[in-house]
This record gives sequence, C-alpha cells and structure tokens, in this order.
Amino acid sequence: MGPYGFYIAIILVYAAVDSMACLGLNLQFGVAGISNFGYIIFQSVGAYTAAVLSMPNAKTTNGGFQQYVLGWHLPWPFPWIGAAIAGGLLAIPFVFIVGKRLRGDFAAVGLLVSAVLLNLLVKNYVPFLNGDAGISLVPSPFQHYWNPQSLGYQFAYGGVAIVLTIGVYFLVKRVTESPYGRSLRAMRDNDIVADSLGKDLRMQRTSVLILGGAIAGLSGAILVGFITLWAPGAWGYAETIVLFAAIIIGGAGNHKGAILGAVLVPVGFEEITRYLPPLGNPELVPALEWVSIGLLIVLFLWFRPNGILPEKRRILSGNKNAAPPEPTKGDAESDALIKIGNVQELNFHELLHLSEPVNDNRVILSTNGLTKSFNGVTVVSDVSIAIHQGRLTGMIGPNGAGKSTTLAMLAGTLPSSGGQIFYEGTDITSMPSHKRAQAGIVRTFQLASEFKKLTVLENLVSAIPHQSGDTFLGSLRGKRYWGRQDHDHIERAKEVLEGFGLSQYADVYAGGLSGGQRRLVEIMRALLAEPKILLLDEPMAGVHPNLAHKIGDQLTNLCEGGMTIVMVEHELAIMDAFCDPVIVLAEGQVLAQGTMAELRQKEEVVEAYLVG
Amino acid sequence: MSSFGFGLITAAVLAIATVGFTMQFAVTNVLNLAYGSIMINSAFVAYYVNQHGVTAWVALLGGVATGAIASWLLNRFIYTPFQRRNLAPITVVIVSLGVDLVGTFGLQAIVGGGYVSFNQSQGHEYHILGMLLSGLQLVIFGICAVVLVGIHWLLKYTRLGKAMRATSANRNLARNSGVKTQFIISTTWIISGALCGLAGTVFAMNAGVFEATSAQLYIVLLLAAMFLGGPGEPYGAMFGAVTIGLATEVSAAYINPEYKDVVAFLVLIAMLTFRPFGIFGSEKTN
Repeated sequence: MGPYGFYIAIILVYAAVDSMACLGLNLQFGVAGISNFGYIIFQSVGAYTAAVLSMPNAKTTNGGFQQYVLGWHLPWPFPWIGAAIAGGLLAIPFVFIVGKRLRGDFAAVGLLVSAVLLNLLVKNYVPFLNGDAGISLVPSPFQHYWNPQSLGYQFAYGGVAIVLTIGVYFLVKRVTESPYGRSLRAMRDNDIVADSLGKDLRMQRTSVLILGGAIAGLSGAILVGFITLWAPGAWGYAETIVLFAAIIIGGAGNHKGAILGAVLVPVGFEEITRYLPPLGNPELVPALEWVSIGLLIVLFLWFRPNGILPEKRRILSGNKNAAPPEPTKGDAESDALIKIGNVQELNFHELLHLSEPVNDNRVILSTNGLTKSFNGVTVVSDVSIAIHQGRLTGMIGPNGAGKSTTLAMLAGTLPSSGGQIFYEGTDITSMPSHKRAQAGIVRTFQLASEFKKLTVLENLVSAIPHQSGDTFLGSLRGKRYWGRQDHDHIERAKEVLEGFGLSQYADVYAGGLSGGQRRLVEIMRALLAEPKILLLDEPMAGVHPNLAHKIGDQLTNLCEGGMTIVMVEHELAIMDAFCDPVIVLAEGQVLAQGTMAELRQKEEVVEAYLVG
Repeated sequence: MSSFGFGLITAAVLAIATVGFTMQFAVTNVLNLAYGSIMINSAFVAYYVNQHGVTAWVALLGGVATGAIASWLLNRFIYTPFQRRNLAPITVVIVSLGVDLVGTFGLQAIVGGGYVSFNQSQGHEYHILGMLLSGLQLVIFGICAVVLVGIHWLLKYTRLGKAMRATSANRNLARNSGVKTQFIISTTWIISGALCGLAGTVFAMNAGVFEATSAQLYIVLLLAAMFLGGPGEPYGAMFGAVTIGLATEVSAAYINPEYKDVVAFLVLIAMLTFRPFGIFGSEKTN
C-alpha cells in the first residue's frame, strides 16, 4: 500500500460522507421537489451533536480551552444515533416554511437565509459550540482500543462509512420506488394538483425533510468522527450549493446519479485542487474552484438538465420491450384519431369502486352566500347553489364570471372569503382540499395538469386512494407489504387506459402527450381517485369536437351510474347535449339556472351570454 | 443618535439596491440571487477607474454603467433563455446562485483577496440633529434621495414607468394592450442594473474598505427589505429598506454588532412564514 494507503482511506471516507449527504438531498430535491437551500445545516447539526455527545465535559477537559454544551462522553454508536435524531428534529421548525403553500423559490430562499443565520449565531456565540474557532479533539470511535492514526483503523472507518452509505441508498430507494415515492414525485411535478387528488403535501414534505435531515445528520457524524474537528467555516451556505451541483450533474431524481455527482463534485474537486501547484494569489485556486462549480451548474442545467444519469422511466405495464410510440404534438388532428375504444364495456362500478347506483336526486353539495375577493375586488359574490346527486350540472358564463373560482372553492383549491359550503349536509368550508378529495370531491384543472415526469400509467395509479404503500411508514415496510395491492391497482389503471384507447401510451411520460390525450389522462386520473362528485374545469377545451362528444357520453354514463358531476364549459353545444341543469354565472353572481331550453327563453341570460 | 445616522445611510443605500432588485422580480419573476455579485463587481470597476486618477464621484458612473450592462446581459443571455424553456421557477434561482458564484469568485480570482479603498476624502464632519455624519456620507445620502425621487417620478408620471408597472402586473395583458413588453423588460433590467451598480459602489464607498466577497451576504438584507414591503413592489421596497436599514444599525448600538444582521434575518423568516406577500400586500389573483 505504501504512502497511498492513508490517502485512499481518506478518499473512501469522504466519498461515503458526500454520497450519503447527496442521497438525502436527492430525496428532498430530486424526488420530492423541495429545494432545501439550507441542507448543509442538517449535516452540521449532526456533526456538532456527535461531537458534543462523544466529548467529555468541557470544563474539566484540557484546562477548559474550548467551550461547548453537553459533553456527555457517550460511547459509539450513541453519538451517531444522536446526530441522526438531531438532523431529523432540526427539520421540524422548517416545516413552517416548506409545508405551507409557499412558492418553491420563496421557501428555498427562506432555508438559505436560515442557514446563513445559524452559521452567524454559532460563529459569534462562543459558549454554545466554541464559536468561530470550532470544536476540536473530537474523539474517534474506539480510539482507546485502536489507534485512529493506524492504517487499519482508517480503512475500517472507511468500510463502516461505505456500508452505512449503501444502507442509506437502499433506504431512499425503498421510499422512492414505493407508491409513496410516486406521490412525492407527483408533488414535485405539480403540488396543487397532487393536493387536489388527496395527497397531504404537508405530511409528505415533513416526512422527507425529516428523513433527509436525519441522513445529513448521520453523514456529519461520520465526518466529524474522522476529521475530529468541526467549525463554522466548514458549513457556509455555499457548501449546500456544492451538493446541489453534485445532484444536478449526477442526475436529480436518480439515486445512483446522486452518488456519481458526490464522487465527481465535492470529492473530485477537493482532490484535483490538492495537486495544483500554488499559482498567483493565495485565493486564486479556491476562487477558481467556486467559479467552476458555478459554471458547471449553469452549463449542466442548460445542456444536460437531467444530469449524467437521468431519472429512470418506470415501466409499470410490464411490457418492458415495447418501443414507446413517438411522442405526439398537441394538434387537434391527432386528437381526432383517438378512438375511445371499448369504454362502453368498462365496468366502472368495479373499476372505480363506485357504490351501488343511487339516483335519489338529493342535494349532495351546496353553497350558501359563497364569496371570493382578491385585493378588494370581488370575483364571486353571494353564490348559493345546490348540486343534485346523479346529475351532470353545467356551469356557464362569460369570461371572468367566476366559474373557475367557484369550482376552485368547491374543491378547496382556493379558500373562500365568505359564505359556506355543505357536502352531504356537513359544513366543509374550512376543510383543506386534500381532505375533500379523500371525502370524494375531486376536481380537474383548466390548464394542463398532468404530472409531467410520471408515465401515463403512473399518473393514473397515483390517484387511487387508500394505497397501503402510500404512507411514509407503509413505504418503509417494503414491496412485500404493498406490492400485491399495487399490482392490482396497476391492472385496474391499465383496464381504464385500455377503455379510453390509450394503452400504447401507458409507459410514456405524460408531459409528451398531445393536448387531447392529456385531457383524457386527467379525466381518467380523476375517475381513479374514486370521486363521489367530479368537478371538471373546461374538460373539452382544446379537444377535438368528436372526442369531446365521446367524453360527454362517458360522463353521462357515469352520472347514470350514480356519480355527480359539475362541469364548467364554454361550448354551448356540449351543454345542450349533456348538461341538466345548467347554472349561469355572470359577474360573480348566479344569473339563472335551469335546463338549456329554459335558459334560452330568458332574456337576461341571452343578453349576458348566449348572444354576446 | 449616531447609530441612527449610520442607519439612515445604510437604509438609503439599501433602498436603492432593493428597488432595483424588486423591479427585476416584478417584470421577470426572477429572484436574482446574483445581484450582490454585480454590486461588488460594479464597485471594483469604479475603484479601478478611480485608481487611474479620476475622482471617485466620476468613477461612480463607471460603476453604474457596469451594473446596467452586466444586468442586461445576464437577463438577455442567461435568465430569458432559461425561462423560455418553461422550467420550474426554482431552476432559474439555482442558475442565479451559480452565476453569483461565478461573479463573486471570478472577481476574487482576478483582484485577489485583499481589501481596497477608494482614493477619496471622507470630507468634513457635520453635526446634524445630534448625528455625526461625514461629508462623504451626506453626499451618498443626497445621491440616494435624488435617485429615489427620480424612480418615483419615473414610475408615476412617465409612459415608460406606467408600461413597466403594467408589465409587472400582467405581462400578457400588457402585451395585448400594445405595450412592447420585451423592450420594457430590457429597459427595466438596464435601469435596475444601474441602481444595482450605484448601490454597490456607494456601499463600498460607505464601507471604507471592501473586497471581492464583501457583498456576499448583502442579498439577505435585500431579501428582507423586499419581502417586508411585498415582493415586486418598488414603494414597498423603499419602506422595507428604511425599516431594515434603521433596525440593523440601531440594534447594533444595543447588542453585539456582530448580530446586527440577525434582525434582518428574523424579519425575513417571519415574513416568509406569515406574510410572504408583504406587510401591506395581499394574495395575488393568480
């Protein structure tokens, strides 16, 4: 081995620590879409925790030359366990920033600033963790039994670090490949839509923040046990950017990519610069290192945004060898060719777990004085409507009449400013939208809302409620726990897909479909969420008329089968053909309601809408 | 009282910087985290002009021009192409962090790590209302005040200003109403970049000595001031900057000066948590 032995051991430890940290960040950023710009503080809190748990009391050691809290002198592995717990606990306050409906970039800035703030505080308040000088002489595990300076010890340390990193790899992979991971990726692609399908975003973000934080904490503990010192200089906010660079270069969302990135960027850069001869001013080499990291981020995001190892497309149909069809462009011509296959033969009752058809025409959903204003402008004012069970209710009105806003308030996507909403007699006005979805109120969106980097089949399966693998703990229990049920769900989704004539697109990313195909995916997905009430926001917009009528027929069938549908639509022909009753909104108020034939008799309706 | 005087100068400089930052956010929806690096690069250009025997106040124009040109280039050749790809807003923010590293450390690689200062006198000292201020500080304050009044006039009374406000309120509607939004966005980046360059240069003058990484954490003050007044709101930015500038400097008189920026941090985190649309703002319609 010679003199290189120690060097190799050091590289192994660094590679393991950086890989572990990147795996945790990749789970947050690449899988769940949380841009944790403060990630480094989670590693740091782990390092400090492991240090002060393993070190003896500060006042009685070495003449008290450094100050720190705790000093419990615990044997291994307790400091490492404590570090992981501390990293997980640190996540909890940040849930208030990340768990809210805050723009992703605002939340990211909040985390970045928190990292800077914590660094500043630790640096300047010496009694806590010895301030800017940092903590040194951190005991290595078992140092009284085995000399940490020996080659054997260092290799053993590297070995343990690698084994733990492999463990973390399988852990994050287990979560990512579960139904819960699918929900995380759905949230990453479109959080508002995931919310409307019943995903609890706050829970999902919390769990990922805690798990990623615990992983970062453990990586910090491994690092500090090896280098035996830790100081604020080691965890400036820019260190997080290095980890982000690693993930972007390696391939966000791909855990092997995260490891590759960790080896290339943090490890690679450290090692290359170690061998550069001293040139120019003393800051030159470190400065160029930062410049290169900045350049790599920009260049990779431009030329290879999915990284060296892009996220793998999941083939759920089991048809691994089938060449996927060419992605189609969003033109009406290709939509016209879509044949809704044997949809008539679909047994929606079984597939969608519908209850026995009840068409008692009772009021299932109603509003009382529902109002919404933005910045003092009232968009929906005092709307009181009653939706009857088993009916396909249409909602029309000129642009800006408040149709979509009303729908959004019914689904809980937007909070109302006044009035109440009742569902089966219960006041649901303040119920969050994912709870409403779980209770059976599911909506679709006016704008494209597919989960772009989920395949069509994944889009559909993600909506199915009550998946045993779609909880954090369920995902940890592994495929043996949820696999059989997931297989059934996939079969169910395939059957629906076949019914709608889109089987050949099962394993295509939904983002690559044509406009009409995406509409269908969205409708199928909403159906698989097993709604009692389906709220459709312009489902036929941009859809070829032939296809629109086929969709309309299916919606009518569903209503006959006991489902209740509310549909916002511009196209009067659709209203004429399928909707009864129709509610007319104008300037935020209910202008009239009745059948289309009745409405055409009413002068005020004709004036407000039908003619104009 | 003297800390109040310092606070006024800090606030005035911060106001200039924040107005530029928030205008960029308003018209392009980008949190330009590379803003601090353009500030310090502008200051260094002004410093080199000053080193060649030009008085600091003329050199200041070099700083302003640098800020304007660099910001325009950044938007035109980096942010706009990325935005055209229809990526998540966070991608552009990550790009801006990358640009910030390139800008700050590229500068450091060129100029080295040492501190420098402008070749300029601090001027007489004046006692005003119990505050002790140098002539230099008074001039800086005067420049900032004039520029802020100018921005107010621009936004309120000129066609350009109205077009800028229309573009930031709703870009598509503005374009459909005949506003040349592409031109307005470019102009906004040039004007806001000029503010950035001005702020960077007077920040460096006011600091006395500065180096390549001096403005690295300035972004935190900018963000705090912007979110306090409401993102994208120029008048909110002025209010936020005055509040943050005074709060940090006055608090420095009572607590460990090392902690003075903590006030800004706490304000920012509180705003993000409870009122991300600013103290006066309310939710946007979309």
